[in-house]
Amino acid sequence: MNVPRTKRLLNSALLNLIGLALIVYLAGPFLWVITASFQGENELLRKPPSFIPQNPTLANYNYVFTGTIPQEYQVKGQLRSRISQEARLIAPALKNSFVVALSVMAVDVVLGALAGFTFARRRFRFKNASYNFILASRLLPAMAIAIPYYVIVQSLGLLDSYLALILVYLALTLPFTVWFLTLYFTNIPKEIEEAAMIDGCNTFQALVRVVLPMALPGLVAAAAFAFMTSYNEFLFARFLTQSINTQTGPVIIASVSGNPDASYTLISVCITLAIIPPLILAVTMRRWLTEGLSSSVTFR
Amino acid sequence: MRPKTSIRSLRRLGLLFVALVFLAFGSMLPVGAVQATNLNFVVWSYGIETIQSNIQNFQKLNPDITVKLQDYSWLQYHDTMVGRFTANNAPEVLYGSDHWLQEWANAGWLEPLDTHFPQVKEYSNDLAPYALQGMTYNGHIYGLSYYADTIVFVYNEEHLSKAGITKPPETWDDVLSQAQTIKDKGIAEYPIILAFSQQEGASIEAFYSMVYSRFDGPGAMFDEKNTPTFNKAGSAAAQTIDWLKTAYDKKLLDPASLQTAEIDQVKSMQAGAHTFTIFPQYNLAELNKPASSDFAGKFKMALMPGSSHATVGYVRFYAMSSAAAKQGQATLDAAWKFLEYFGGKTNGKYEVVKRWAVENGLGFAQLPLFDDPDVAKAFGAWGDIPTIKAQAKLARIKEGLTPWYGSWDVFTRAEVQKAILGQESTADALKAMADKYTELSTQ
Amino acid sequence: MGASQISAVKSPARSLNWERVYPYLSILPVFLVIALFTIYPVLYSLWISLHRYVLTQPKSHPFVGLRNFSETIGSYYFTNSIAVTGIYAVAAVLGVIVFGLLVALFLNTRVRTAGIVKILILLPWAIPAVTSGLLWKWLLNADFGALNGLLYSLGIINNYIPFLATPELARVSLILAQIWKEGPLAAIFFLAGLQLIPKEIYETARIDGGGNWRIFWHITLPLLRPTLLVVLVYETMTAILTFDIIAVMTGGGPADATALISWFAYAEIFKNLNLGHGSALAFVIALITLVLIILYLRALRTEEA
Repeated sequence: MNVPRTKRLLNSALLNLIGLALIVYLAGPFLWVITASFQGENELLRKPPSFIPQNPTLANYNYVFTGTIPQEYQVKGQLRSRISQEARLIAPALKNSFVVALSVMAVDVVLGALAGFTFARRRFRFKNASYNFILASRLLPAMAIAIPYYVIVQSLGLLDSYLALILVYLALTLPFTVWFLTLYFTNIPKEIEEAAMIDGCNTFQALVRVVLPMALPGLVAAAAFAFMTSYNEFLFARFLTQSINTQTGPVIIASVSGNPDASYTLISVCITLAIIPPLILAVTMRRWLTEGLSSSVTFR
Repeated sequence: MRPKTSIRSLRRLGLLFVALVFLAFGSMLPVGAVQATNLNFVVWSYGIETIQSNIQNFQKLNPDITVKLQDYSWLQYHDTMVGRFTANNAPEVLYGSDHWLQEWANAGWLEPLDTHFPQVKEYSNDLAPYALQGMTYNGHIYGLSYYADTIVFVYNEEHLSKAGITKPPETWDDVLSQAQTIKDKGIAEYPIILAFSQQEGASIEAFYSMVYSRFDGPGAMFDEKNTPTFNKAGSAAAQTIDWLKTAYDKKLLDPASLQTAEIDQVKSMQAGAHTFTIFPQYNLAELNKPASSDFAGKFKMALMPGSSHATVGYVRFYAMSSAAAKQGQATLDAAWKFLEYFGGKTNGKYEVVKRWAVENGLGFAQLPLFDDPDVAKAFGAWGDIPTIKAQAKLARIKEGLTPWYGSWDVFTRAEVQKAILGQESTADALKAMADKYTELSTQ
Repeated sequence: MGASQISAVKSPARSLNWERVYPYLSILPVFLVIALFTIYPVLYSLWISLHRYVLTQPKSHPFVGLRNFSETIGSYYFTNSIAVTGIYAVAAVLGVIVFGLLVALFLNTRVRTAGIVKILILLPWAIPAVTSGLLWKWLLNADFGALNGLLYSLGIINNYIPFLATPELARVSLILAQIWKEGPLAAIFFLAGLQLIPKEIYETARIDGGGNWRIFWHITLPLLRPTLLVVLVYETMTAILTFDIIAVMTGGGPADATALISWFAYAEIFKNLNLGHGSALAFVIALITLVLIILYLRALRTEEA
């Protein structure tokens, strides 16, 4: 390429500018909430707010972890302090989110791989019907099914239990997992498993022994999707959970942000703590995710 | 080869299993003491620590009753409870508001208290009229109140003195002209803020208060037969919307008011961003809390501007669900003890209500508390008692309360916003509101 | 011992039966879970949509046939929210696709910031929609929002902009938040598609004398069509079914400017207490989404053919 040097420099300068704008757009909200979690509320409400804390304070983090009420919220005169214990529930809530999301992820991958491989490779009666049925189940808007789901869970006696959330999330995530893994398996060349089948393996054995090891990126991508969807789900979590025994991260965050006794600082602390696990996951898993996604999207 | 130990370990496992089953069953048997009755109690998120402390005190006095607390944000409270009631997952006792009493009673979700506990009527004489009205439907009483308040007009005194204004506004025109002065002097960019977000349940109360303040006596919004009166030409409601439009167009009313709910409204006032606002009275206590902001102590209440200075009074109360009533006498007894402790008298005193008043500045429906010296001292620390009393005397309940009021309320919020934004004329907005009310009433 | 050697080779008769049954067995668990949470809710909603079901009138649920459907479709709310949803969906999907495409093209270059963006790109996708809505609501707050603060300190504006308080700005803000949340996924999809295009095609095109823009328009885009359609289907569904973000950021306002159709369904059930209308509306939404997906898939199939 015979592009003159200045033009190339200009090009990369321009591109870097775009990159900078993207970095601000993508990371800005996160940086804001993190820096806000170290500022007292009076600071936050100023016009304009400061992006670097003038009087940084760890008091709110301290409160969430140990329960020591920060100085400015203690009872003064006769009026009670304005702080809420609810913010301290973020830690158990995140634990609940993890437990539920991990369980859903595990079951999703197993059941999804099982079904996906069958849809990708085998012909059988009602194949199209059942495939379309599974996918179409995602078309129902949450509003139509929120109350019936509630009724189902309640009649099974599962309100306020991990099992209820896990079951509902399975129903919500399996369609995408099955669709994704079906596509993924379709794109894996048949030759290797055909060789195994000639050796006498049946479909199931071929799947487990031969195909799964090759399909690792796709499985990881599917697992990550299932995990993220369950971890971040809000509507059904709010309906089906009643106590901190099962309430998940999003439920507590929504609740704390609507609590008049929680300052913006406290809300920021909760949000910051809640986003750390998904952010770590997104950064560390990105290669798996992109690889898995590419193989499913690209048609050969 | 089959190891011999497998049979032995199988037997051991079997014995262990049987022992565990017995243990499990055994632990389920009541052990001597009476089984505790459990009451599920749902509230909107406010003062959760105080509520938990009250619950602990209650449980100490009533060891055979346990109370489990759950809360939802005020902005989602109504919708979440609708979901729970519909799916038959109602709590035994819960917070209720006069907005939705008729809606929930009609749906069969709330139980009239006087049918099970006739003694609740003894409390009626102590209550401010708008509070009693707000808890009564079809001649039955549905709750005992923990909080009743008025919508008040509040201003930042420091802003006024900086602008050289010595007296708070007395008419709505005064408000506009004072706001203009404050804006011109650069003290506040948008001197007026209101919590008119479409999500805010108290926005209709603020709107009503502005209408009532221009109108003497009942009938400003609806007459006794619940026929709309607000859509008449030149009505107080029309004047109110026109005033809002003017304030918005002149950039005296913060355009963000259309997205602001109560919490942010109070925080903005606290930060000194605005001068005038209208909100539930207890927020004044929060604003004037020592060391809470640069302007703490500088916020003052004035009577609602307008010829009659009238305002809205509303009530929030403890209610009992119909589901509780179906659970039998033990639950009913426990529920009454709960309701009386929290909303009634213990040892002849309204202890819980008084605690809210003293510690949080919450208004109350129970008139005797006005004479309580502790309450007077507490209120005096953040507000002017004569003004508070005078305003309370002019407080009236929201007109037009019916089972479909909740739906109409939600519709009205959007219509008022459209009028303010200039998308509709005032007359059209009022007509749409009246038509909607009629439509809902004939459904 | 001998057992493991013979496990791979079963007797022909047994393996044939097993193979015949296997497909059904393998999809049974998935089928059961989904059926449990699909069949009953659909039947339940269907029943309700055909009856008059207003919660404040619990004693009568007469059969009304399709009246709920006609009342809902004929109502002001429906026409309003269809218009709002249509505009929103088109704008959001376009926005997400353009954003995703541009970012993918950017990520395909070698500049330093591209490496950083690659690390950050999936962060918005990783957090709950509610949290995203809360963050943006706060950032766009007209009294103390950080975006306003940034623009103000940079001297770009003199007065804070009420992002969520005027109809047009509220819609734009919603789309901005939606692009932030959904764009990254689209970008990853497009990047995957881009990286599949062999470099030789570009080189041949340049030798033939093509400029950057022509290459993009005549070669890159057509080769990206399959990816484009996948993203289109997924993002359209997401845009139509958007709920969490509206509930948190605008509550349908101001003046119903952001009352998307899913919000309308929610309001019918939880605010108007009219389950009949709400269920009917939910079916209409599902139908619209289904039709759109079928149209897209048909377009995809003609592409492949």
